[in-house]
Amino acid sequence: MALDSLSLAVPDGEVLGFVGPNGAGKTTAMRIALGVLEPDAGEVLWHDTPVTREQQRRFGYMPEERGLYPKMRVDRHLRYLAMLHGREEAAAGEAAAHWIERMGIDERAEQRIEELSLGNQQRVQLAAALVHDPPVLILDEPFSGLDPIGTDVMSEVLAERAAGGAAVIFSSHQLELVERICDRVAIVNRGSIVAAGRVDELRAERSRPRLRVDVEGAPDGWAAGVAGVRVVSRDERGVLLEIGEGADDQQVLVAAGQAGRVRLFAPARPTLAELFREVVER
Amino acid sequence: MTLRHATMLVARREFGERIRTRAMQISTLVTVLIVAAIGLAAGLLGDDGPQDFTVGAQGAEAVQIAEAARTAGAGFDARIEVKRFSDEARARRAARDGDVDAAVVGEDIVSEDSLPAELEGALQTAARQVRAAQALRQEGVAPDAAQRALSPPALHVRTLGTDDESRQGIAFVASLLLYLQLIVFGLAVASGVVEEKSSRVVEILLAAIPARALLAGKILGIGLVGLLQLALTAVAGLLAASLSGAIELGTDHAGVLAIVLVWFVLGYLLYAALYAVAGVLVSRQEDMQSSSTPVTMVLVAGYLVAFPVLEDPSSSLAVISSLVPFTSPIVMPVRAVVGEASPAEIAASVGLLVLSIGLLIPLAARIYEGSVLRMGKPLKVREAMRAARTARAKS
Repeated sequence: MALDSLSLAVPDGEVLGFVGPNGAGKTTAMRIALGVLEPDAGEVLWHDTPVTREQQRRFGYMPEERGLYPKMRVDRHLRYLAMLHGREEAAAGEAAAHWIERMGIDERAEQRIEELSLGNQQRVQLAAALVHDPPVLILDEPFSGLDPIGTDVMSEVLAERAAGGAAVIFSSHQLELVERICDRVAIVNRGSIVAAGRVDELRAERSRPRLRVDVEGAPDGWAAGVAGVRVVSRDERGVLLEIGEGADDQQVLVAAGQAGRVRLFAPARPTLAELFREVVER
Repeated sequence: MTLRHATMLVARREFGERIRTRAMQISTLVTVLIVAAIGLAAGLLGDDGPQDFTVGAQGAEAVQIAEAARTAGAGFDARIEVKRFSDEARARRAARDGDVDAAVVGEDIVSEDSLPAELEGALQTAARQVRAAQALRQEGVAPDAAQRALSPPALHVRTLGTDDESRQGIAFVASLLLYLQLIVFGLAVASGVVEEKSSRVVEILLAAIPARALLAGKILGIGLVGLLQLALTAVAGLLAASLSGAIELGTDHAGVLAIVLVWFVLGYLLYAALYAVAGVLVSRQEDMQSSSTPVTMVLVAGYLVAFPVLEDPSSSLAVISSLVPFTSPIVMPVRAVVGEASPAEIAASVGLLVLSIGLLIPLAARIYEGSVLRMGKPLKVREAMRAARTARAKS
C-alpha cells in the first residue's frame, strides 16, 4: 500500500509544497488527486464537494517523468494539449502562442520537441501544464533538472498562477526553495501526512523556541545552569539554545550577561530542512 | 468533453501527424508506383509477345518441315529462324550445345533441354503438314488441292464470361496489398502505443482524457491513413492496368475496390486491437518486437494461406480460411475477387469478423486501461488481464 489515510488541503490562491522522502507516496497522492489513479478508498474534494472526472480534466499536471511527443512541433503540441483539456481550436492556438512567448521559446515554436535542449523541453513541459489555464495546478518535482534561471522562471510562474487564484501543489526535495515559495507545506512519510500547515505555524507547533546567543569570553558551560534550557549545538557563531516549557529567555540573557560580553542574542528559527529531519526521523 | 469529442481530437492528431511525415509520403508514393507498375506490366507482359527460336535442319524433308514451322510459328507465338546443316552429326551437336533451340534430323527433333511447348507445337504441326502433303502427293492428289486440304480456315476464338487470368492477377495483388497494409498499420498502432508509454507523454494525456478515447482515437486515426493509402494505391493500380490494356475498367472493378477496402477496414480493426495489446504490454520500443511477433505470425499465416486459395478458390481450405476471422481478411477478398465466394459465404465472413471485432475491441480497451501506466518490465498477457479486471472493478 502506497498511501494510508493521507489527507491534505490547498486553498485557492495558495502554493502548497509537498515534501517527503523518496517512496513516501507523493506521486501516488498527486495521481489520485488528478484522477489518473483510482484510490482504493477515500475521496478528492474540490471546493468542498467530491470532484468530478470532468473537473479533474481541467487540472494542470506536470508528471515527474517528463514526457511529450518527441516528434511533434512545439506549437502544435501545446495547442493539442489545450484542446484535449477542452479549449476550442482558435483559443487553444492563442493559449499555445501565449505560453510559448511567456516561456521565451518563440524561436523554437516550429521545431520538434526532440530538437530542443533539455532546459527548453522543461519549459514546454511547464507550458503544457498551464496552457489551458487550470484552476488547480499539480506539479511533481517541477524544479528537478532546472538551471538557476529556469528555477526563477518556474518560481515566478507558480506565484503568478497562485496570485491569479489557482491552487498550486508541487512536490520537491529542494527544501530551501519550498520554504521560500510556499505558503504551506505538507510533509509526507510512509504514506501519511506527518506535518502540514503554514511554515511558521509548523515551526511554532513542531519545535520549542530557540535562541542563538554569542557571549564573548564566556566559559563553555555557561548556559547549562539556566533552568529549562537545553543546548542544541555549539559552534563559532555561539550556542543554539532550546527554551523549554516554563523557562524564561530573559533569564538566559541575565546569565549570558554575567558570563561575559553578549555579542548576539536572537531568536533562531528552525529551517524547513531541520523540521523535516525532525518529523521524518522521529 | 464527451468521449467522442476526445476520440476525434486524438484521431485528428494521429492522422495529421502521420500524413505530415516524410516517411509516410515516400512510402505512399513508392507503394502507388509499384502497384501502378504491376498494373502496367500486366498489360505489356500479359501477352508477352512471340518468342524467338532457332531451329536446325538437316536433310530436304527436315528443311521443309523447319520452313513450314517458321510459317506456322505465328500461330504458336513463336518466331522461328531456320539454320541449315550439311551433316547430321553437326546438327545434333549444335542442338546438344544449345547453339540451336532444336534440330530436326531424320525422324527426330533433338534439343538440349526439354522442348518449349510453343516450339514443339509449331514443329509437330509442320511435320504433320509436310508429311501429309507428301502422302497425298504420293496418292496422286494435285499439290494445289493437297495444299488447300491441309490449310482449312482456322477457328475463331471468342472469350465469354470474365477474364480469369486478369481476375487472378487482381486477386493476387489485392491479397498482397491487404497483407502489407494490415501489417504496416497494425504495427503502427503497436508502436504508437509504445511511443506514448516510452516517452511518458501518456501520463499528461490521461490527466486530460480517458484511456479509451486515447486508444480509440489512435486506432481510428492510423486506420484512416491506411485506408486512404490503400485506396490511392488500388485506384492507381487499376488505372494503370486499364491504361496498359490488361483490363477494361468496369463496374466489377469498382466492386473489387469495395471488397478490398471493406476487408481492410474489418481486418484492420481486428488486428489493431491485437496490436494495441501487444504495444501496451511493453514500455520500450525494443520490447515491442517480441510482444507483437505472435500477432504478426497470425497475419503471415493468413497471407500464406492465400496462395493455395488463389490456385483453388473453392477448396475446403479456401472455404474455411475465408470464414475464420483471423485469416478471412486476406483470404475472403481473394475468393470474392475471383468470383468463387457465394453471397452467403461473404455474409458469414463479414458477420464473423464483425462479431470478433465486437468482442476483441472492448477486451483490448480494458487491458489497455489497466496496463497503460505500468512502466518497466514487459507484462504477461495474464498480468495484463488481471490489471484489466481490477481497473474494471473500480470504474
